[in-house]
Amino acid sequence: MAAILARARPYGVVILLAFVLGVVPALLAAVNLGYPFRLAQLTMIFIILAASLNLVSGVAGLLSLGHAAFYGVGAYTAALLSARFGTDLVVNLVASAAVAGGIGFLVAIPTIRLVKIFFAVATLSVGEIIILVITNWYDLTRGPMGVRDIPGFVVLGMDLGSPLRSYYVVAVVTLVCIWIVHRLSHTVYGNALRALREDDQAAGAMGLNVGMMKLVIFAISTALAGVAGALLAHSTNFISPDMFRLPESILILTMVVVGGLGSLPGAVLGAIVLIILPELGRDFGQLRMVLVGAVLFLSILLMPKGLIGEVTAFDLLRGKPSR
Amino acid sequence: MSAAAPLLEVRNVARRYGGVTAIANVDMTVDVGEITGVIGPNGAGKTTLFNVISGFTPPSEGQVFWKGKPIVRLSTHRIAQLGIGRTFQNLRVFPNMTVFDNVCVGALGRVGFPAWRALIPGAGRPRTQAIIRKTWDALDTVGLADRAGELAANLSYGRRRYLEIARALATAPELLILDEPAAGLNDSETAELADLIRRLNGSGATILLVEHDMTLVMGVCHRVVVLAAGRKIADGPPAVVQEDATVRQAYLGASDDGA
Repeated sequence: MAAILARARPYGVVILLAFVLGVVPALLAAVNLGYPFRLAQLTMIFIILAASLNLVSGVAGLLSLGHAAFYGVGAYTAALLSARFGTDLVVNLVASAAVAGGIGFLVAIPTIRLVKIFFAVATLSVGEIIILVITNWYDLTRGPMGVRDIPGFVVLGMDLGSPLRSYYVVAVVTLVCIWIVHRLSHTVYGNALRALREDDQAAGAMGLNVGMMKLVIFAISTALAGVAGALLAHSTNFISPDMFRLPESILILTMVVVGGLGSLPGAVLGAIVLIILPELGRDFGQLRMVLVGAVLFLSILLMPKGLIGEVTAFDLLRGKPSR
Repeated sequence: MSAAAPLLEVRNVARRYGGVTAIANVDMTVDVGEITGVIGPNGAGKTTLFNVISGFTPPSEGQVFWKGKPIVRLSTHRIAQLGIGRTFQNLRVFPNMTVFDNVCVGALGRVGFPAWRALIPGAGRPRTQAIIRKTWDALDTVGLADRAGELAANLSYGRRRYLEIARALATAPELLILDEPAAGLNDSETAELADLIRRLNGSGATILLVEHDMTLVMGVCHRVVVLAAGRKIADGPPAVVQEDATVRQAYLGASDDGA
């Protein structure tokens, strides 16, 4: 299995693009032009969220429990910009990334020195504070009522709001985000990030500016969550503060852990499993969440390193070191 | 003291933890091209001295000069970037990373690799190639190249010591600080380590060594500094230090029978 995948590596990008841009939409269109496309978009949005959280929590070892709040900041930025000024998606994506990443950067300045569980608690609190601000800043956000009638995707003046076109917009943005996370995790820079996770004092003794690196990676990760938020706002046309609270952060973290901490393909697979699985179980009604819980329990019990662990992911994506 | 400015000078350094004085009034120098050893009984303050030099612990008093410039207020990564590489007494390799990636971090730390170089296509390539070359060089030096793809956690204790040395070497240090490199090694491994240290010194490395193992220190060092109870009690060539009465007393307790 590993050998086959290793041989396929040079063609990996082509296979991935063909799959995401050709096979999947064709299969979905064969079923139905509506709902499956919405589900696919939601899956891809969570792929961005899981991949970006994995970058900071899996690779760099900073456990964040506030990721969904930055996702929310991005969603509100895009929703309010397009509702008030009718801005283009390109503008909204940049703005959402900048606002979410900027807030992430500011939040990280005082909290990044905290270690392990203390950092996790700090991000949890900050996340809740951000959502409280969004909920109570009624003049700007309409509070708990949420923002309705957010326009669909408009890119460079073209209306790309149909399910198929929206799918392609989300797919292209997701591929770009995955590429960014891939470069940051699998170049030599990724080794520096993992060194922070493994032993940040020893990393400092090697000459790494540990504090600055943590700030930068947290800002990049939250900026990517902001991008995911912008995509959500335009693809669902409605957002409210409840969509970005702690349970959502935990869901994203679960995707990362089930997929494999530190593993990018794991995060992608974790997102797919945890979005699709509850959908497949729809016929079971309320029992479906029990089904999901059982799958999670068993996967963590039987595969503590994740569906695709970090080491396996390296074998797939980087191969053995060579001169 | 040599006439030229020493590579490293520790001047009147003290470090107190609350009421406990770990080291006091310590002066020492390290000259280019030499192997300097720091020895002393348990609790003599050897590791504290190393932590002060490498920026892990600020001194309560005194100064440390690198090529004549004070460095005590600098953070650890700045000191590492100046060219002081170190290993740790209690093995601190990155366990869940491969041998190659461990050493790669050392090579990367010295030259730097900001995030944008990973994101702009082509921007990181020359630097990445240089980092990879330095990584292989360091692995070759300690003889771990054939295990590059293994996880550090899977190496034996002795090999992990070598991995730490390789990681520090990859930072291209002008001064290599080894904190008890022979701790936990058996006799033949210690002899092998002595060979490595001599080999590194032969190719121009300046080394500062904290060690318990007397044979190793006396065998490889050009100069030995002896600490006891936080103070320097002797400083000189191994043969002279070995005969020093104060040193014998510190190690063996008060003696009047020439033990």
